[in-house]
Amino acid sequence: MKNVIELKSVTKNFKDFSVKNIDLQVKQGFITGFIGANGAGKSTTIKMMMNLLKPDAGEVKLFGLDYKMYEKAIKERIGFVYDGNVFFEGLNLKDIKRIVAPAYNHWDDRLFYQYVEQFELPLHKAIKTFSKGMQMKASLAIALSHHAKLLIMDEPTAGLDPIFRRELLRILQELMMDGNRTILFSTHITTDLDRIADYIAFIQKGELVFNQSIHDVTESYALVKGELNLLDRDTERAFVHVHRASTGFEALTDNIKKVKNIFGNSVIIEQASLEDIMYYLKGGIHHV
Amino acid sequence: MFNLIKRDVILQKRLLLTFIPFIAFFIIMDSHPVLTFLVASIFIPFNGFAYDKQAETNILLNSLPYTRKEIIASRYLGAIIYMVLTIGVTSLAFLMMNIPFTLTDIAISSGLFLLFAALTFPLFYIFKSGHITTVVLFSFILLAGIGPPIVSFLAENLTAITDFIVNLPIQTLYAGATLVILALYAISWGITTFIYQRKAF
Repeated sequence: MKNVIELKSVTKNFKDFSVKNIDLQVKQGFITGFIGANGAGKSTTIKMMMNLLKPDAGEVKLFGLDYKMYEKAIKERIGFVYDGNVFFEGLNLKDIKRIVAPAYNHWDDRLFYQYVEQFELPLHKAIKTFSKGMQMKASLAIALSHHAKLLIMDEPTAGLDPIFRRELLRILQELMMDGNRTILFSTHITTDLDRIADYIAFIQKGELVFNQSIHDVTESYALVKGELNLLDRDTERAFVHVHRASTGFEALTDNIKKVKNIFGNSVIIEQASLEDIMYYLKGGIHHV
Repeated sequence: MFNLIKRDVILQKRLLLTFIPFIAFFIIMDSHPVLTFLVASIFIPFNGFAYDKQAETNILLNSLPYTRKEIIASRYLGAIIYMVLTIGVTSLAFLMMNIPFTLTDIAISSGLFLLFAALTFPLFYIFKSGHITTVVLFSFILLAGIGPPIVSFLAENLTAITDFIVNLPIQTLYAGATLVILALYAISWGITTFIYQRKAF
């Protein structure tokens, strides 16, 4: 399986924050969800993928090419959608197209107008008068109109209402029908990903915790609920995080088999959602 | 690259409508043609920076298939192209209003414009967007305040140099000034590219 994005030991230091030693591969033909809390390093990592930021150490390759030699060839193949509006807000969509389109060799005007129609976007109204959802659709229409092989989206669903969010997810799914397209999609709203993602990359405090298929993630993590008297120093080792309440404990495990061996039927084992995993791993992975 | 230069026209098309009255005002106020040509040249490139200083613009331009070198080159080449165009339009305005001007006026104002651009363009990339207007305004006032006294002080005290310059044949003087200004413009271009390539967005 080919990797469209490849980060090798990528490190970037800021005054009060750093992204450390990220090894991340994004596979061709799939949707990878990039999750993490606010401030975990998602945007920093995405900016390094776009060459808006240069890593202090490590290697960033897209389509097997590096930015030093192939900046234009790489960006030619990327469609980008960012959290905020990056287009000149006083301009209307038609003028923005006039500025953006000539930058791409493979710009397809017919396709652009097709998306404009599909998304019901006004061509002659200033972007700043658009709602958040319409701005996102406008970005998407522009990102899709040059036959990009890779779509990089930084928090595209942030600030969208549930109806718009679902609509976006449906559009993304339709895009994936064309088999060799790849989408990287960062979000902190994990329920978006339960629906569409094939792979989940999870970043926490600047470090990559895992990058697995969504199937593996749900297979390897589980929520365990039981009575407090079951816990002692030995049995707690089966969990990555334990939350105690007067009524009992709730814990996250990454070793379901071990939990079954230790506790048998005395605990309830439930599937952990991405949100559960994110919540319980917020202190980082350390076996208690 | 040409597309990057053209974007200023798309961005400023409404603002450009004010260009003619703006020049007309200077002409009617009977300003020296050099000054009129100079402010006309400054109009488009410096308005362009008003858009470029926004962080979003840099994120957009750098996410498109352009290199940082090209983005800066478009600013420096664009300034020259827009200067030539505005001088053309302004000359027409002068002709239509029957006001005399000379080629020397055009030469001096282009020289001053390129000098001003060479000195200020890097500032737009060195300073944070919020401060740049203050910085440029402040340095302009400072220069206007202390510049002339310094020049007259030098003129009085370094007579050897002033004598040398005054005694140069006029062609040599113009050719020398042109070379110095073009060199400064090229150096400024190099410095700005160097700065911009190290920027994070």
